[in-house]
Amino acid sequence: MRALTALIVTVAVVVLLARFETEPPRTFNPNSALGPVKTPRALAKQIATPPPRRSGEGTRSFLGPAMTTPFSAIQVRAFFTGRKLTGIETVLLSGDGPHTEALNARAEPILRESALEAGDADVDVVSGATSTSEIWLDSLQGAIDKARRRG
Amino acid sequence: MGMPVTATVRDPGFDPRALDAAFAELRAVDARFSTYRADSEVSRLARGELAPGRASPLVQEVLARCEALRKQTGGAFDAYAGGALDPSGYVKGWALQRAAELIDARELCLDGGGDLVLRGGPWRVGIRHPLEHGRLCSVLELGDGAVATSATYERGEHILDPRTGRPARGVLSVTVTGPELATADAYATAAFAMGAAGPAWTAGLDGYEAMTVLEGGRVLCTRGFTGRSPRAHVVVRAKAA
Repeated sequence: MRALTALIVTVAVVVLLARFETEPPRTFNPNSALGPVKTPRALAKQIATPPPRRSGEGTRSFLGPAMTTPFSAIQVRAFFTGRKLTGIETVLLSGDGPHTEALNARAEPILRESALEAGDADVDVVSGATSTSEIWLDSLQGAIDKARRRG
Repeated sequence: MGMPVTATVRDPGFDPRALDAAFAELRAVDARFSTYRADSEVSRLARGELAPGRASPLVQEVLARCEALRKQTGGAFDAYAGGALDPSGYVKGWALQRAAELIDARELCLDGGGDLVLRGGPWRVGIRHPLEHGRLCSVLELGDGAVATSATYERGEHILDPRTGRPARGVLSVTVTGPELATADAYATAAFAMGAAGPAWTAGLDGYEAMTVLEGGRVLCTRGFTGRSPRAHVVVRAKAA
């Protein structure tokens, strides 16, 4: 039952974000008994200074309200490209005691989601092997052969 | 092991001869672990000519790590995936990590077929796009650590799920970053084999972060994965007249 509560917290926050367009949300999931709760003092500093975040071009981020249950607190940052929700980052997730940790472990993970992009960037190196490895070798061999011919 | 290995060193005044020991180590590991050489220790083990308990300490170390990873991944990473012993999926990253340790440089990128050991930096690492040839789907800036990507690319389905013996489905590519390459590579292979269940599994990894590209173009990243859009890094190249 408590695990379910933790899951509902996550769902409530995600539902909240799904409705989140250009303004901070003022409504909450009507099916949930959860509402915004006063921030516990121990957590206030963390909330005031969220980790710096670099966002991509045309992406805006919004910090959601800190939500608490008797066992934990959670706050998320949402990333939007235009009006589309493109990512979710948990910036706060805490509580007291092993019980809470177990619940949190079950309520997590929140994975950031985005759409597959394609681009050309100036990079030092590329990760991801392909059959081009063989072509790469062939090409290198060709270059070596050419260099040899030119002596 | 049939892969190109490239070392990039940025230290000024670096003597390329300092790479010799690293490449000698790669050849030595290949001689010991290759499944293509009939006389390698792994081939002798696979044929049953050598008892596991009598294998060299290095081979025992690798086999123990492969077994730990098999358990940790619920069998999605398995050095016996094809029936016979083939620890190549672990040995490749392990060998690169060992080779990197032999290179006395502050700024190093060791690239083995698209799997990377990084030192110093930051290094700008592009993640190869799983569908569009020659393009990138993400860009990372990383210092010390490792990057491994498992993908099918243009070859088609070639990563088998050891648990079913059939090609893994649902995933186009998995990139894992973390402190150590062999582990990152094994995690990427396992997450790929898990298919749609892979991203949630990667979110529970300790010290490693992952990006999974699913069929259909959804991209799921763990919280600490720092990849950014390749569009934010577009470079206009001057065309030669």
